[in-house]
Amino acid sequence: MFAAPSVFKGVGMDRTANKYNKKAIFLNSVKTYVSKPQNVILILFGIVLTFTTIAPIVAIVKDTFVIHPGTIDAHLTGKSSGYTLVNYLDLFTSRLAVTNLWKPLLNTLLLSAFACLISILYGGFFAFLVTRTNLKFKRYLSSIFIFPYIMPQWTLAVVWQNLFSSNAVTGTANGLLASLFGICMPGWWCQGLFPSAMVLGLHYAPFAYILIGGIFRNMDSNLEEAATILDTPRWKTMCCITLPMIKPAILSTVLLVFGSAMGSYPVPHYLGLTTLSTKYLSMNAQYTGEASILAIIMMIFGVAILMANQVSLKSRKNYTTVTGKSGQLSKINLGKCGKYVTGIIFIILTFLTSIFPILLFALETFLPNPGDYSFLYTGDMSNLTTKWWLTNTNTADSSLYGQMGILYNSTIWNALKGTLLVAVCCALIAGTIGTLIGYAVSKNRRGRLASYVNGMAFLPYLMPSIAVGAAFFVLFSNEKINLFNTYTLLIIVGTVKYIPFASRSALNSMLQISGEIEEAAVIQNIPWLKRMFRIIIPIQKSAIISGYMLPFMTCLRELSLFLLLCTQGFILSTTLDYFDEMGLYAFSSAINLILIVMILIFNTLVNKLTGASLDSGIGGN
Amino acid sequence: MFRADIIKVTRTGKGGRVMKKRILSLILAGAMVAGTLTGCGGNSGTESAAPATGGETQAEAEKDTGELSEVDKIIQEAEGLSMEELAKKAIEESNGKTFYGLGNSSRGKTALPLFIEYLQTIDPSYKMDYEWQQPKNNKIFEQLSADSLKGTGTFAMTLIQDGNQIESKMVQTGILKTFIPKEWAEANGTTPDQYEGYLPLQAQNKVFMFNNTGDATYTNCWDFVYEGSHPLFMDIDSEVVGKNFLYMLTEDTYAGWLKEAYDALDSEKQAYFAPVVEEVSKDAEDLGLGENGKYALAWIKLWVENYNAQTDDGPICNTLVTSSATDQSGLLVYNKLRSVEESADVSKKNVTIAAYQDGYQGIGGYAYNHYLFLTDNSPLPWTACAFIAYMTCTEDGFSAWGKDLGSYSFNPDVMAAIETTYQHSKGGYNEAGENEFDCYNDRGYDWWTTTGKLVVEDPEYCAGASFSVGSWIDMLTKYSGSTK
Repeated sequence: MFAAPSVFKGVGMDRTANKYNKKAIFLNSVKTYVSKPQNVILILFGIVLTFTTIAPIVAIVKDTFVIHPGTIDAHLTGKSSGYTLVNYLDLFTSRLAVTNLWKPLLNTLLLSAFACLISILYGGFFAFLVTRTNLKFKRYLSSIFIFPYIMPQWTLAVVWQNLFSSNAVTGTANGLLASLFGICMPGWWCQGLFPSAMVLGLHYAPFAYILIGGIFRNMDSNLEEAATILDTPRWKTMCCITLPMIKPAILSTVLLVFGSAMGSYPVPHYLGLTTLSTKYLSMNAQYTGEASILAIIMMIFGVAILMANQVSLKSRKNYTTVTGKSGQLSKINLGKCGKYVTGIIFIILTFLTSIFPILLFALETFLPNPGDYSFLYTGDMSNLTTKWWLTNTNTADSSLYGQMGILYNSTIWNALKGTLLVAVCCALIAGTIGTLIGYAVSKNRRGRLASYVNGMAFLPYLMPSIAVGAAFFVLFSNEKINLFNTYTLLIIVGTVKYIPFASRSALNSMLQISGEIEEAAVIQNIPWLKRMFRIIIPIQKSAIISGYMLPFMTCLRELSLFLLLCTQGFILSTTLDYFDEMGLYAFSSAINLILIVMILIFNTLVNKLTGASLDSGIGGN
Repeated sequence: MFRADIIKVTRTGKGGRVMKKRILSLILAGAMVAGTLTGCGGNSGTESAAPATGGETQAEAEKDTGELSEVDKIIQEAEGLSMEELAKKAIEESNGKTFYGLGNSSRGKTALPLFIEYLQTIDPSYKMDYEWQQPKNNKIFEQLSADSLKGTGTFAMTLIQDGNQIESKMVQTGILKTFIPKEWAEANGTTPDQYEGYLPLQAQNKVFMFNNTGDATYTNCWDFVYEGSHPLFMDIDSEVVGKNFLYMLTEDTYAGWLKEAYDALDSEKQAYFAPVVEEVSKDAEDLGLGENGKYALAWIKLWVENYNAQTDDGPICNTLVTSSATDQSGLLVYNKLRSVEESADVSKKNVTIAAYQDGYQGIGGYAYNHYLFLTDNSPLPWTACAFIAYMTCTEDGFSAWGKDLGSYSFNPDVMAAIETTYQHSKGGYNEAGENEFDCYNDRGYDWWTTTGKLVVEDPEYCAGASFSVGSWIDMLTKYSGSTK
C-alpha cells in the first residue's frame, strides 16, 4: 500500500483544517447575516416579490406566443394549438397596425402626458396658494381638494358626460347644461383626449398637491427673498429658484400619475378615447395574443418610468430644501379681497369636482328614467320615483331588467361584502409586507439586495393596472392553478399592486428614525418583535397607518385592476361597471354613492382615531 | 367562398411601405425564422385543414375514439327522457346545492326561481340556491375557457350568443356540449338524434328606430348611413354579434336586399352613395363576394364610419325616447322599449320603428340567437339538462323572455302560447283599446323575417367571414367624437 509521507499528511491536515475553517467562517457569516431580522425579511421578500412580479410578466409574454383557438393567430397559422410569432408580425406589420397599435399608443402617451401636466398645474398651483399665500378657507379647501382622488376615477367622467353631452354635438340626449341653459359645448370638449386628460388630471391633482405642497411648506423662502433683493424678475425667480426646488416633487408626481393614467380603463372608455387599455379589451376577443402584446407594451413603459426616476434621483441631491440653517416661510399677501375671491373661486371649483358628483349621483337614484331631469323644469315632483331603491321583486318592473331594488338587491350587497373582504385583506397583507420591507430597506439602504427588493416592490405600482390584471389572469388560469373569479386571486393581485403604498410610506418614515434608538434596545437584548411593537411602530404610527389606509381606500374603488379577474357581481366596482353599461344608471349611481360614503367614513374615522390623513401637514390641519 | 389566399392578400396588403414595415418588424422581433411565419407548432401543435371552422377538434376526436365524457354520457341518456323524468333526476342531483349559470341574457336570473318552483311541485322539500352571472365585453368566453380548465367546473350551463365564437372557441375545443330536449325536438318535427346544430332558446331582434320629434325621415335603410346621420349602436368591439350582423350583410340574400333598397333611392341619394359603391367594388371582388357584395360593403363602410358607439342598448333607448334627442336614430334591441317610463320628457311615442312605416325599403334590423349549452365539466349536469328543457319546452320556463318584445322561442308551441298570454302584437294598445304606442306592437318573428327584412345570423357564414370581411371592417376608420 502506498503511504503518504508525513509532510504531505501535515499539508493534508492543514488543508482539511482550512476547509473546515472556511466552512465555519461561511456558516458563521451566514448565521450572523440571518440573525439580523432585516436580512431575513429582504431574502424572504426578495424571493416572494420576484415571483409575484416576474411570474405574471413571464406568463403574459408566453401568452403572446401561444395559439388561441378561434382567434387571429389560429386563423393565420392554420393551427389550433402550439406556439407562433405571428401575433407580433400581425400587430406590427398588418394594415391594422395603425388602428390596433400606433394610434392607441399615441393616444395613451398623450393622455398620460396631459394628465400629468394638468395635475401638476392644478395641484401645484393650489399647493402654492395653500402653503405660500394668505388664502382664506384653507382648512376646508385642503380637505375637499383630495376628494376626487378618494372617489372612483370614473365618477368625474360620468359627471362630465351628464353635464356636457347634447343632442346637437354628441348625438345623444341633452345633458344638464344643454337642457337647462341651451349651451352645447364643442365636440372636442365632450369626448376624446381633452375630457379624458382633464378628468384624470383632476383625479390625480391631489397627488401633486400633497407632494408639491410638502416641499412648498418646508421650503426656505430666504432664497427667493435674496433674489428679490437682487432685483431678479419674478419669472426668473420662479424658473431658477422655485421650480428647481419643487422639481423632485414634480418628478414624483409624473412618476405616479403617468403609469396610473396609462393603465386607466374607465375614463377613456366613458369619454370615447381609444387607448392601449381600451384596445386591450376590444381586441381580446379575436386578437387575444396581440392584446397581450399591448399589455406588455404598457408594462415596458412602467419599467421605463422607474428607470427614468432612478436617473432623476441622482440629480435630486442638488435641490436640498431642508437644511441645518434656520429657515422661514414668508407668505404672499393676496390682498384684502384677493384672498377671499381666490378662496371662493376654489370653493366653486372643488364643489364641481367633489360635492356636485355626489349630489348628482344621489339625484339619479330618484329619476324615473336615466338622465330624465324633467321634474326640474316642470316642477312636477311626481316625476321622481323610489322604485330603484324599494322594488322588492325581480319581475314587478321591467325597467329594472329583472333586478330587485337597491335595498333588496343581493347582488349589490354581496358585492359590497366581497369588496370589503378584498380591501381589508389587501390592506392588512400589503400594509404589513410594505412596512417590513420599508423597515428592512431602511436598515440596509446601501445594499444591493435592499435596492433590488425596493425596486421589485415598487415596480407593480408603475405597471398599468389593466396590464397587471391581464398578466395575473393569464398566470392563474391554467390546469394546475385556476383562481379566476376567486377572492384569493383578487387579494393576491391587490396586495402585489398596493405594497408600494405601504413600503414607500414605511421607508420614508423609517429613514427618519435614528439607528441609535433601536441599537439601544439591541444592547439591552430586547427581541426584535418587542423592538418593533414597543419602539419602531409607536414612533411612526401615523405613517404606518397610512400604509394600511391607502391600499384599503384604493382597493375599494379599483376597477381596472380587477376587471379581468372576476365577474360583475363579485365586487362593487365591477358591479357598478356592469350596471352602468346596461344603462341602469340609478344602480351604478347608488353604488358610487355607497363607495364614496364608505371611503369618507373610513377616512374620517382613521383621521379622528390616529390623526393621520392624506393632506395632513399641508393644509389647515 | 373565403379562400385562404384571399384572406392572406387582405391581411398582408400590398406595396413597398408595408414590406419595409415587415422588415423592420423582423428586426424588432429578433431571431425570426422563416418556418415560424406559419407558426412553430412544435410538439404540441395540432394541424387543422380549415382553422376557422374545421380541423380535428377535441370534440370530433372524442367522437372518433368513442371516448365520451361523463357529461356526454348524461346528455345521451337525458335526450331520451321526458321533462318530468329529467326533473326527478335534477331533484336527486341538486337538492340543497348551489347552481351557477352564466349567460349573455340577464333573464336567466328570472327563469331559475321559476324552475325551482316547478321542481318543488314534484318534490315540495326541494331547495336549491342559485347564482346567475352575465358578463360584459365578451368576457363570457374567457370565463368559460378559464372554468373549463378545472376538473369540476363552477358553471353548470350557459346561455350564450355569437355563433361565430361559440363554434371556434367553445364547441370545437369541447368546452360546451349541446343537449337537445326530447319534447323540443318533437315540437319541431324531429328527434334529438336527427337534429343538427346548437339548441337555440330564442331569437332576439335588434331593429332600426328613430326619434320622431323632428323632421328627419328614415324610409330606406340607406337613410341611416346618409350624410349627417350618426345612428346610435353598440360598439361592434364590445358586442361581437354586431359585427356578425355586418358579416351577414355580405351574404347574397341580404346583399340583394340592400341592392333593392339602393335602387329605390331617389337620384340625389344614389349620387351620394354611388362613389362609395364604386370605391369598394374591387374589395368585394377580392373578398369573393356575390354580385351585390359591393352594395353590402358600401353600406357597411358608411355604417362603421358613422355610427355613434354606445356601451349598451339600454343607454341608446334612454336617449331615443327623450324629447331632446330630435332626429336621432339607432339600431338596438327592440325589447329595451319596455324599460321606458312615461314622463314629461320621455315617451315611447317619441320613437318610430323604421320597418313599421308604410313603404319602408330595405333591412329592418337583425336577429341573433341565444344558444343553450352544458359545460363539459358541469357540476350539475342533470339539473342543467332539466333547466334547459324547462326553458325551451314550457311556457313558464320561457316566460322570462316571453314577456319581451322581439324575443321569439324556437319551440313553435311555446311561441304560440306566449303570444296568447302576452299579446305582443297589441302591446301598444291601452285599456280603452286605442293604439297608444304603435312602436310597441310587435309584428312577430314571421313578419320580421319576411316583410320586415330582418337579417338573421348564421354562425357558419359568420365564422367563414370573420377574418376576411372582418379584417376588412377592422381597417375602416370608426366614427369617433361628436356629430359636429
